[in-house]
Amino acid sequence: MTAAPAGTPPLLAVESVDVTLGRGWRANQVLSGVDLDVWPGEIVGLVGETGSGKTTLARTVVGLVNPKRGRILIEGLPISALRRGARRAERRRGHVQLVFQDPLRSLDPDLTVAEIVAEGLTIRGQTDRDEIRRRVTGALEQVGLDATVLERTPGQISGGQRQRVSIARALAVEPRLLICDEPVSALDASTRNYVLRLLDQLRTSLGLAIVIISHDLSSLAGIADRVVVLYRGRIIEDGPVDRVFTTPRHPYTALLMASAPSIRQHGVRNDRPFSPRQLRRTDSDPAPPAGPGACVFAARCPFAAGVCAVQPPLTAVGERWSVACHRHEEWAALAQSARLGRTDPCPLSSSG
Amino acid sequence: MPDFGEVLRLDDLHVSVHHGAAAAVRGVSLQVRPGEIVGLVGESGSGKTLTCRATLGVLPPGCAVESGSVSFGGVDVTSLSRRGWERLHGSQMGAVFQDPASYLNPVIAVGPQLTEVVRVKLGLGRRAAHRRAHELFEAVGLRQPERVFHQIPAELSGGMLQRVMIAIAISCDPQLLVADEPTTALDVTIQAEVLELLRRLRDERGLAVLFVSHDLAVITQLCDRIAVFYAGEIVESGPVEQITQRPRHPYTQALLRVASVGDFRRRELEVIAGQPPQVGEDITGCRFAARCPVAMPECKAGPVRSVPVGERHEARCVLAARAMVAS
Repeated sequence: MTAAPAGTPPLLAVESVDVTLGRGWRANQVLSGVDLDVWPGEIVGLVGETGSGKTTLARTVVGLVNPKRGRILIEGLPISALRRGARRAERRRGHVQLVFQDPLRSLDPDLTVAEIVAEGLTIRGQTDRDEIRRRVTGALEQVGLDATVLERTPGQISGGQRQRVSIARALAVEPRLLICDEPVSALDASTRNYVLRLLDQLRTSLGLAIVIISHDLSSLAGIADRVVVLYRGRIIEDGPVDRVFTTPRHPYTALLMASAPSIRQHGVRNDRPFSPRQLRRTDSDPAPPAGPGACVFAARCPFAAGVCAVQPPLTAVGERWSVACHRHEEWAALAQSARLGRTDPCPLSSSG
Repeated sequence: MPDFGEVLRLDDLHVSVHHGAAAAVRGVSLQVRPGEIVGLVGESGSGKTLTCRATLGVLPPGCAVESGSVSFGGVDVTSLSRRGWERLHGSQMGAVFQDPASYLNPVIAVGPQLTEVVRVKLGLGRRAAHRRAHELFEAVGLRQPERVFHQIPAELSGGMLQRVMIAIAISCDPQLLVADEPTTALDVTIQAEVLELLRRLRDERGLAVLFVSHDLAVITQLCDRIAVFYAGEIVESGPVEQITQRPRHPYTQALLRVASVGDFRRRELEVIAGQPPQVGEDITGCRFAARCPVAMPECKAGPVRSVPVGERHEARCVLAARAMVAS
């Protein structure tokens, strides 16, 4: 796994966590052997497709879902082992806060902004009204909102303002870790950039650790330090964002990047190493190994071979960079050479 | 001048919302030629979706076409009766939307939902309709058409459902496909596949596509021409290369600066200062002037016309107009 920066312990440690949702015949293993460390002042991007377990991982970290196996430690405290009163007390401390995708649905429409932001403080036992008022305006100031929004309800402010209110609500209780579940996917491009910039400033000014779940790779590239790629409940790649995004070591990460829409502009190099077509299975590819123990990506992987009948472990391939692929050293060359002939008959401009 | 090379032509279209209380689309003119993919892009509330709904004759309650015209194949369809629209839908124009599951019957297999359309619209028999469904499912890239035929929507993934919707939309060989944010809810890898599919359908069938998205990056990858919407107006329209390489309207320039850039490098994320006007807000002069970095007093003096700035390239900007006069 990734090596710790000298001396400091991770703020969040997820240790070989398995999560199963549902019981009996409905039981569905959503996360398998997930290991993840997040340090203070770090922004980690969590990417993956629908159903890959991103949201379940977020819910497990805040204690809304119990892992079947493994531990969650926050500042060294194993919160996944806490039960009942101790769990509630830990949650009230508010060291970990969630920010949801759709503020219109996650904020109470009947409460004013002031009440929404104050709620966490009251739950934590803060009773001094002046102190609450001071903290609420302070939190709103941190996200660039002034007192004019205090008495409005979520329905009376714009989408970008609403998402900033959700962040202010989380900040009011002075968290150490912020987990944002698709915080910008409902926003227009300009507002999206504003919110991402805000998160970037907050991690510097408050030393927050931030986990951002997103499917928008290029906006993550703008602010994240590390990127973690989930596929069907397993981490398949985890590494520094600039390294992973320039030379992805897992074919799925490469496919995600090749598929991400982008604009051809003057002065910006936009040539991706691969086109999506070079990274997709075709009917002429040999049948991938199947079975319960096989690599989770094998069924979609054009490079799957006999070795892929066994799920590969996360293996270090660089400093704080690991990948779960048996063929991580070979596939890129295969994609470049043998499959060069398979070009797109009507290429999208992505490879241009 | 009527040009019979156009599938769709919008002329000075005005659409009101809130039962006529507010103008949401203010004089939109647009042409779509056969085999052309035209993209409408803009922020939420910019009028792009209402424009495409007016094109389909399916405006939400409380919304109405106030003036202007929608011509389809050279015929004005603005005041068409319900029966008239029914004849057009499916056979002349197809449509796909953001959430395919909500447009399909959840308890009926998707195959019969397609055969129903071709049996009613094209008068095909049971066997012929089944064959047609099989062909269409193959054409939209569904791997096991026979299996999909008997599956209900809940058994299919979002990407497969969107392919089924596209198959239904093109089942009667329409001239125009209207696609309103069809890939927004899909994963990026699936989105790329659906965009490739739309392109292939255009190439193979000469299908014209009107594609709406808030994501400029998606639009520039798919479309031949782009119309940029701002606060109910088209502020710039033109070929995709012109719009991305030589944008003439400051709003288009701003949109390009804030859009996703493909090199995945860390860079300062830019924002467009200010907020768009409220829907229906009346503003003298340019509607973008309040947020424009290069606005001048004359921008706010009177209505700003859209002027040609190149081959099939227009911009609604005082500066662009001045530059054209100077050259």
